[in-house]
Amino acid sequence: MLTNQIGYYSIILGLIFSVLIFITSLKDLKNIKILNKKIFFLSFFQFFFVLLSFIALIFLFISSDFGNEIVFSNSHSTKPIFYKIAGAWGNHEGSLLLWLLVLTLFIFLFLLNSKNQPIKYRILTLVYQQIIIIGFFLFILLTSSPFNYLYPIPTEGLGLNPILQDPALAIHPPILYLGYVGSSIVFSASLAATTQNYISKAWAKNIKIWILISWIFLTIGILVGSIWAYYELGWGGFWFWDPVENVSLMPWLCLTALLHCVLVLEKKSLLSSWIIILSISTFILSVSGTFLVRSGVLNSVHTFANDPSRGIFILVFLFILILFSLIIFFFFKKENKDEKIKIFWLSKDTFILINNWFMMYFLSVVLIGTIYPIFLEVLSNDKISIGPPFYHKLIIPVLIPFLILMSFSQSLSWFKSKIDKINVKLILVFIISIILSFSIAKIAGSKNLYNSILVSASLYLFLVSIKDFFNRYKSYAQSISHFGFSLLILSILLNGILSTEVTANLKVGEKFIYKEGSIEFSSIKSYQKNNFKSIVGLFKIEDKKKNYVELEPELRIYNQPITITSEADIKTTIYSDKFLVMNKVKGDDYFNVRYQVKPFMIWIWISTFLLAFGGSLSLFRRINEK
Amino acid sequence: MKFLKFLIILVFIFNTAYSNENRSELINKISKNIRCLICQGQSVYDSNSDFALSVKLVIGKKIDQGDSEKEIYEFLEKKYGEWITYDPAFNKKTFILWTLPILLFLIGGAIIFRKVNVQK
Repeated sequence: MLTNQIGYYSIILGLIFSVLIFITSLKDLKNIKILNKKIFFLSFFQFFFVLLSFIALIFLFISSDFGNEIVFSNSHSTKPIFYKIAGAWGNHEGSLLLWLLVLTLFIFLFLLNSKNQPIKYRILTLVYQQIIIIGFFLFILLTSSPFNYLYPIPTEGLGLNPILQDPALAIHPPILYLGYVGSSIVFSASLAATTQNYISKAWAKNIKIWILISWIFLTIGILVGSIWAYYELGWGGFWFWDPVENVSLMPWLCLTALLHCVLVLEKKSLLSSWIIILSISTFILSVSGTFLVRSGVLNSVHTFANDPSRGIFILVFLFILILFSLIIFFFFKKENKDEKIKIFWLSKDTFILINNWFMMYFLSVVLIGTIYPIFLEVLSNDKISIGPPFYHKLIIPVLIPFLILMSFSQSLSWFKSKIDKINVKLILVFIISIILSFSIAKIAGSKNLYNSILVSASLYLFLVSIKDFFNRYKSYAQSISHFGFSLLILSILLNGILSTEVTANLKVGEKFIYKEGSIEFSSIKSYQKNNFKSIVGLFKIEDKKKNYVELEPELRIYNQPITITSEADIKTTIYSDKFLVMNKVKGDDYFNVRYQVKPFMIWIWISTFLLAFGGSLSLFRRINEK
Repeated sequence: MKFLKFLIILVFIFNTAYSNENRSELINKISKNIRCLICQGQSVYDSNSDFALSVKLVIGKKIDQGDSEKEIYEFLEKKYGEWITYDPAFNKKTFILWTLPILLFLIGGAIIFRKVNVQK
């Protein structure tokens, strides 16, 4: 009860501090010589009170205080302590409080880390950020307070959805939110810089740190979510083009474009308008992501909340943000003389523009594919589904020129490159990759030319990126990220083309023989765990080459709420994953078994990690430079 | 650029021209593109609900009857409505969906072409 009150009043205090910051900074803006120390204190206390309220919420979850409404509906006394803590952000209200926590933390860090920037720019960034923060405070207080209490106090909670009781999913939302919220700083800062006419090389240097932070967390957040979907949803896939996944991919695409573009600004003060547009869109996409997921507009596995008043609030909030940023953009953006200069075609700048071009295309495919069904249903009452085939048809063919152009771009310099520099070596590498990919196709027995061309293009990029490591000792960060990206595309393609699977209905003791080997269902055991009952099957699998593997998939029957989940058993090697999942066939002794061999699976994770690791290297280098 | 065009045309020709899969692979392939209507965002392939199981049986039966992949999609769409397929057809309702991204791509290309200096 007391903790509940502390949590609630901390939020209100936090809101009061936001208003104070807003007023003080506006006053300071008129006559400044030095930055008022008061602002640091105010900003710190704002963060402190949100933190206090968040800690109070975690405490409520740990102590299983079912007098709190969201603890009651999302927790249970038999749940392991780790998931009790994670339960604090595993729901709508708690996750918004987490958003707010990161928002206030980041703006405080921004104030501390921008000492060499103009004072007016810093204060304006703070002001714009407060608009977002106040919006979130109001949203929480008016529609989704985490501290509503129940009377009489229930004796037991309803429990957390078992598929969410997983270490990867416990850390997935916080990491993703760090990415989303990082983009809010980029948003406020770019608007502040526009107002002050401070879009310049110095600004690019400063903001790139925040772009990188946001990008790294988004990348890792998406990676963790994907890994979770891979082993927990039991489908053996890792990306389903599910609307909620798309929603996290969109800001990532936008931010990737921005990350490259800001380099051009830093080197040559070009493309400033485009950079502002990208900064605005990234943040708007992040907020719309929250809106689309949380309002229940999307039909998706991830939709937990269903409350129209919340949806309307976020929609209005979004509308205000967009209008506000457009006004600033059109009234304050000054024409830059350098912008009129044309770019020489054979230079890094051109290829960064081409990168942006493709990123924007991918973004438009994902965006249109995600929201089109919503609009169509509202306008004409027709329901259509847009799934993997749509995205594959529009994205995969375009990957071929994208990969080839990206390979070319690696060897270009910032100003003019000569044509003879793109030389015999590159052509040689190109021929090698074609030969390699056709031999892969031959070995795999695939007669599909389309796949072979795709693999050739990605192999080409892969080889060129490796070559890059040895040729240049300048930027390891960039080489590692580009290498990671090429490895990612290559592993996804090979994984998609070479994966095999069999399904069968088996009883204990039966053996299933198929073309490539056999699966024997040798025994079944059941255990009683703390909050679920576990049924584990033992399967012995042998392939044609006498490779033998034992897999033990599991069915879990959770008590609160009563749900059955199936846990796949996965044996991972550097060549391939062996993935087995079983399900009970209703009213029968039979189990439905799906066995999949997925080549290069682990390389998909490793390469995404490398992508983010390259980003981190670049981030640390930039922080140390200062 | 000519080389590129050639590539793209090749890709489209070969993409539509393969068809020697066996029965269970074909069932998997089709059921991946069919939505499980009673599930939350799962395909029939991914689901173990009664609905998904019976749709898989229907697909198998239709294959045995000698129906082509396209005929099976058409049959399911007629029975359950367009919502069931993950691969929206190109028609009056969806032409914006299919063409808008491509249009944006072309516009983007034109903007870059204007921004970049090819001479010198």
